Amino acid sequence: MVDTLIDEGRGLTWGVPHDLSTPRRAPRIARSVTFFIAVGVLALFVILAFIAPLFSNVVYTQHLGEALQAPSLAHPFGTDELGRDILARTIYGSRVSLLTASLATLIALAAGLPIGLAAGFLGRRLDAVLMRSMDLLLAVPAIVLAMTVIAVLGTGTFSAIYAIGIIGVPSIARLSRAGVLAERDRDYVLGTRALGAGRAHILFRTILPNISSPIIAQMAVLAELAVLIQAALSFLGLGTPPPTPTWGQMLSSGQSYLAQAPWYGLFPGVILTITVLSLDIAARRADTNAAKGAG
Amino acid sequence: MQRRGPDDEKAALRQPMPTELLLRPNRMRRYLLQRLVQLIVLLLVGSVVDWYLIYLTPGSPVYALLGTNASPSQVRVLKRSLGLDKPLPVQYVTWLNHVLHGNLGSSFISGLQTTTLLAQRVPASLQLVIASFVLGLLVALVLGSLAAIRPRSVVSTLVSAYSSLSLSLPTFWLGIILILIFSVRLHLFPGSSTYIPIWQHPMSGLKAMTLPVASLTFYIGGIMTRFVRAALTDALQEDYIRTARSIGVPNYLVIIKHALRNAMLPIVTVTGLQFGTFVGGTVITESVFQYPGIGTLILASVQQHDYAVLQGTVLLLVAVVAVVNLVVDLTYAYLNPRIRYG
Repeated sequence: MVDTLIDEGRGLTWGVPHDLSTPRRAPRIARSVTFFIAVGVLALFVILAFIAPLFSNVVYTQHLGEALQAPSLAHPFGTDELGRDILARTIYGSRVSLLTASLATLIALAAGLPIGLAAGFLGRRLDAVLMRSMDLLLAVPAIVLAMTVIAVLGTGTFSAIYAIGIIGVPSIARLSRAGVLAERDRDYVLGTRALGAGRAHILFRTILPNISSPIIAQMAVLAELAVLIQAALSFLGLGTPPPTPTWGQMLSSGQSYLAQAPWYGLFPGVILTITVLSLDIAARRADTNAAKGAG
Repeated sequence: MQRRGPDDEKAALRQPMPTELLLRPNRMRRYLLQRLVQLIVLLLVGSVVDWYLIYLTPGSPVYALLGTNASPSQVRVLKRSLGLDKPLPVQYVTWLNHVLHGNLGSSFISGLQTTTLLAQRVPASLQLVIASFVLGLLVALVLGSLAAIRPRSVVSTLVSAYSSLSLSLPTFWLGIILILIFSVRLHLFPGSSTYIPIWQHPMSGLKAMTLPVASLTFYIGGIMTRFVRAALTDALQEDYIRTARSIGVPNYLVIIKHALRNAMLPIVTVTGLQFGTFVGGTVITESVFQYPGIGTLILASVQQHDYAVLQGTVLLLVAVVAVVNLVVDLTYAYLNPRIRYG
């Protein structure tokens, strides 16, 4: 347990530890209810994100006469400084968040998995080189790394996605390497080898299926952090440029109107929190399942 | 198909930290040397990447300095004066030589030395980070212990909720809530902070820092609470706890003197390893409150394409985080086999 703890600290889960005392938490029923609520919320957001373009008219059209109106039936979340409906913009903002979460996680997987597999399977010198480079990535605080990548690539939705993807690479690489090391010399792998299987077959068909569940759990964690870092970057003005709405950028504009229109900053933030909480619950479930599947 | 056992995974994850280190001073020395070499290699490679960043930027540093419509002759003159006409390795060595002599270059925008800028900003960030860190650790020790002692209680559920919230209420969003309540509505604290050295003006310094420190403490405390709870839960299951209980040691003494004491080593280790995460939290918190620290310096240098400042600041952060992690690892290796009872 302590070693797991230390490794979590080392950034295995991207520096954000999950509750490590899972066996003693809430009863199973309560956990599955929260899990289904969380998945329901996420599914709703995904559906809304897909149908949001139907309302792009509402999202982008300015009504300067209706600027900063309080929540009402016509505008349940109120309006922003250009008279645009905040509810519509918040829903539309989920598109960038979900796009970032899925693409950045895939980038992390696409780069991290080969690195980890190669390091674990091909051995010493390559292992040392690859893992030291991962250490280097881990030595830069995530948000600073993202900001540096954006300084090079310029601001934009996809720069932010690359930046966030790069942040996720070392955690996937370390996890898959650790998995390969744990499986490499086990009897069933040796048995497959004795049957005359090639190296590629052993790595991809024999070992990979057995190490995939912690990696999938880690991807859920990465998706959660991608949403957070994307919001942070757009809050800092380094994400998706306006007029495309993002939660971070709405929070940042809302901050300027806290005295006149407090709801402006509050609603996008509440939705951000709900999204991240739901992803967190789903990620924990994946984590627990990974641990159970292992047993 | 055969499945993997959790113990194997743990064994693979475990760092090679020989337990007999203490018994064989030679091994400890070799381990130390090995880690030092690793650190130097990491910093060297890091410095190459950091140095090369500036060449990857759109339009190279020359255009960053001159603007995009510079004439070819201007470009040539500037390239020569900056040494950019020399081969890349030569440029790197020159740059590294400057860095090692404490010259991190100067800002393209203000012309100030990066070291001068850092000298202004580092104390401000340190004040923020140290205050939040100490408070966050206190919060974590209290809440984490409460949750570990009574695992199935209401308190424990609340603590779990807090540590989940601390992640999903990121500092920039929590900061806005705090500004709305305590600054806009109640007029208790300023909504944007200036750096006031707390040793010189304790009262106004405290007032200016309260909101940023509160946001950052919430974040750091949430992360640390998970670790404290896990470490203490672990320690409470040990045999020596049962022994202590069975010979009649009062419960609070069992927890404080035996369990918490043994849990402290992993807690301190993890705290050290989380240093980078906390620095990241600081960067964002500073931006919400427009606090003049390292974070706002990085943000401004990214926004203004002030690559020299960005380069210097990132190099400094990487070095600090790497050194902190090394110190933590070495301390852990040194203390690992036994914890002395005082």
